[in-house]
Amino acid sequence: VTLVGAAVSRLEDDRLVRGAGHFVADVRLDGMVEVAFVRSRVPHARVRSVDTVAARALEGVLAVVTAADLAGVAPFPDWLDYARPVAAPLLCEHVRYVGAPIAAVVAADRYLAEDAAELVEVGYDELPAVATIAAALEPGAPRLFPDWPDNRVADHQAFDPEVEEALRAAPTVVRGTYRSGRHSAVPVETRGAVAEHRDGRLTVWSTTQSPHIERTTLALVLGVPEETIRVVAPDVGGGFGVKSHVYPEHALVPWLALRLGRPVRWIEDRGEHMTATCHARDQVHELEAAVDGDGRITALRSRIVCDVGSGELFFPGVAPSFVAGAMCTGPYRIDKAESSVTCVVTNKTPSGAYRGFGLPEAVFALERLVDRAARAAGVSPVDARRRMLLEAGELPYTTPSGARIDSGSHREAFELVVARCEEALAAARANDPAVRVGVGYANVVEGVAPTYYRATGRWKADDACTLRLDPDGRVVASAGVSGSGQGVETMVATLAAEALGLSLEAVAVELGDTDACPYGLGGWGSRSTVVAGGAILEAAAVLRAKVLAAAGRLLEAAPEDLVLAGGVHVAGAERRRVTLAEIADAEPGLEAGAVYDPPGVDHELDEDGRMNASATYVNGAHGAVVAVDVETGAVRILDYAVAHDCGTVLNPALVAGQIHGGVAQGIGGALYEELPYGSDGQPRVRTLADYLAPTATEIPHVAFEQLETPGPELPLGAKGTGEAGAIGPAAAIANAVSDALADLGVEITETPITPAAVRRLIREARAAL
Amino acid sequence: VIFDPVEELDVELTVNGRVHSRRVPVRRLLSDLLRDDLGLTGTHVGCEQGVCGACTVVLDGEAVRSCLMLAVQADGAELATVEGLAPAGPLSPLQQAFADHHALQCGFCTPGLLMTLSAADPADHPDDDAIRELLAGHLCRCTGYQNLVAAVRAAWGRE
Repeated sequence: VTLVGAAVSRLEDDRLVRGAGHFVADVRLDGMVEVAFVRSRVPHARVRSVDTVAARALEGVLAVVTAADLAGVAPFPDWLDYARPVAAPLLCEHVRYVGAPIAAVVAADRYLAEDAAELVEVGYDELPAVATIAAALEPGAPRLFPDWPDNRVADHQAFDPEVEEALRAAPTVVRGTYRSGRHSAVPVETRGAVAEHRDGRLTVWSTTQSPHIERTTLALVLGVPEETIRVVAPDVGGGFGVKSHVYPEHALVPWLALRLGRPVRWIEDRGEHMTATCHARDQVHELEAAVDGDGRITALRSRIVCDVGSGELFFPGVAPSFVAGAMCTGPYRIDKAESSVTCVVTNKTPSGAYRGFGLPEAVFALERLVDRAARAAGVSPVDARRRMLLEAGELPYTTPSGARIDSGSHREAFELVVARCEEALAAARANDPAVRVGVGYANVVEGVAPTYYRATGRWKADDACTLRLDPDGRVVASAGVSGSGQGVETMVATLAAEALGLSLEAVAVELGDTDACPYGLGGWGSRSTVVAGGAILEAAAVLRAKVLAAAGRLLEAAPEDLVLAGGVHVAGAERRRVTLAEIADAEPGLEAGAVYDPPGVDHELDEDGRMNASATYVNGAHGAVVAVDVETGAVRILDYAVAHDCGTVLNPALVAGQIHGGVAQGIGGALYEELPYGSDGQPRVRTLADYLAPTATEIPHVAFEQLETPGPELPLGAKGTGEAGAIGPAAAIANAVSDALADLGVEITETPITPAAVRRLIREARAAL
Repeated sequence: VIFDPVEELDVELTVNGRVHSRRVPVRRLLSDLLRDDLGLTGTHVGCEQGVCGACTVVLDGEAVRSCLMLAVQADGAELATVEGLAPAGPLSPLQQAFADHHALQCGFCTPGLLMTLSAADPADHPDDDAIRELLAGHLCRCTGYQNLVAAVRAAWGRE
């Protein structure tokens, strides 16, 4: 069997193309009732009163609950020791963002529930809103959390005397401030939860990337024994990080099911989604670099400030900024660096995880600065990158923050992209000299399979798999990772089949069901292949030994003389064979489980404040060739190239698909997508009509080159690939636009690079001349 | 005639060749009728605003957003949903092309795309740019659209 490396068809596809997938919104239960939420219309207030009389009186309404009704329910925990604790409530008495849940209405159907929700009268004692980082940090600013001295939820100030000395002594120092705009994943499937309490057990179908984490969290919040809860993540319609959090509604729906004794459903509508599902990015990176005569950055100071919105999110949204700080030197040989991180709370939707987890912001800032440093030294940006990129012979390389870049093909990836894009640039210039074109590059290194705290506060990176032989001779693989479109089911089946010498059809996969699957952290952080892969291989080795031992007893042969291939036969005597079904019949219950803990992951800082937070590192290079229309400000991508290295490739079609999709989201954040707020704290974008998620006419064909440098310490050599595509586009495109407008003195320092922003920058540059 | 939104009316419509009669509130969306009343959950709802295209069905030969229509407006109409593309049989050429070209990941937007494409005449969409224009009525957050274009080309015999 050689399934690894083949573009095997996905097991998920048959049901999905038939419309026979099973998503949370498809769950139908007898007697099921529906929830609509009453959400805050104001950004900051104390809720003085909630008048539910008229809503309760409406025919078909079963319950209207507010924070006062939630006795016995605990707020979400907060285990982070490097941030101020925020106890996110299920329903709010102090609202800190437009969209915060205040009351839940349960009725026979959603139409009636929304009718009733409109009848709920909320009395607000409004408080002054804090709508920007600057406003949040102003002395005497209104505080979101009255018992805090200011609006800093996390504040880590670094000072490294070596960096200070390098900056003082450098021939050239360059500085830049780079802001990544506020946007989010916006999966086409919104969030949702359906809960049923029956025969003493609570079953929750949830749009979650982490069913076990959700189960543990629900047990803590609802105060019920964990073994009575079953969380099921059926087909999940895209997650990209935003569904890795556990949200208030996902705890409230099961609480309502417990209280009402009826199945309860809540499906988030898109209007809710835009302010109730976490936002992301919105980081400002202030960089300062010492640059030598060859355009190389020799020391880097990074100061990151992130607007995390109200911060009322489990897990908290401060982590991406710390990842950004830790990875501020990228794949470059910058031996001295320090990063300071400040996360501030504002009256906006909480921000949290989204594909790339801080790295799109860090790469945008660093790569813009690399261009600036090169130009300051009179060196081409391509040559400056060549001089700084880690070479294969230097690996493993430990960055100043402690990230141990174990392997990769940084230089090779970059050269592939440069060759392609320089050619595309020349062709574009030749094609129409009147068009203003530019080229830009970004190099990406991303830690994958990182440490994460379980819902109990213990930091972990491991995951689990169980393999069992069913009586029909099929092997059932149950894994703790979870899918939301990536093809995790196919990946698990491929690896289990390969390890056991079976066909893909001989393996069944169970995912996303806490009753069926061993405890796992879920599917996020580009971790599933690494951690599930390790567990599958370990479990398969044990199951293989058990199967061969059982077959040996049936065939009266020594296990070492047997071959496992479809069934089991004696080596050299294929007719002396037993099927797996016969083995399962003779010795029922053969199974094996394994927990795989990836090597080398630090779970806390060492005494020097350094840590290696990830199991391994993927790398890649992005290049963009763009045309900029100076009259309209429109940016058109003429060519986009990615060279990507995620180690051993298990399925080339799925890897390419992850890159295509990641790049599309990266382009969205670079050029189109934004979740802006007015200075009054009101969200300006509340619908998909206003949120400019790119369509097929905005996203170009992506030229994709696959490199394959196995991770030396991983059992498969396969690294994760879910996020890498989204990390490079903002940087590559911003560099390309800046290149196209270089003679006008325009430099891009913010995303999204909208036509209006480009026109403003051109206007400002002309005025300054 | 002005109806109270919760007033009920009888509707009769044909879905995938089968006639259904239901009494529904006049405000009930066609998407909710299909999903909740008829159990045809392959039609997905992503925005309830006609932007994302996930809820697209074919009504009397035209691709329409079922979230932008009231069920009562479909009275007397003939509808096709994703469940009707290959009932219990092998996949349709379009469905097979989606699978062969990895043109879906999470699969949530897929049924709507399939219905738009099933109602399209390839002759009206002669090249890749035109295919992209056709796909632009749909949001897909997973694929970046590249493999969707490849799948449509394959299904339309343009490889």
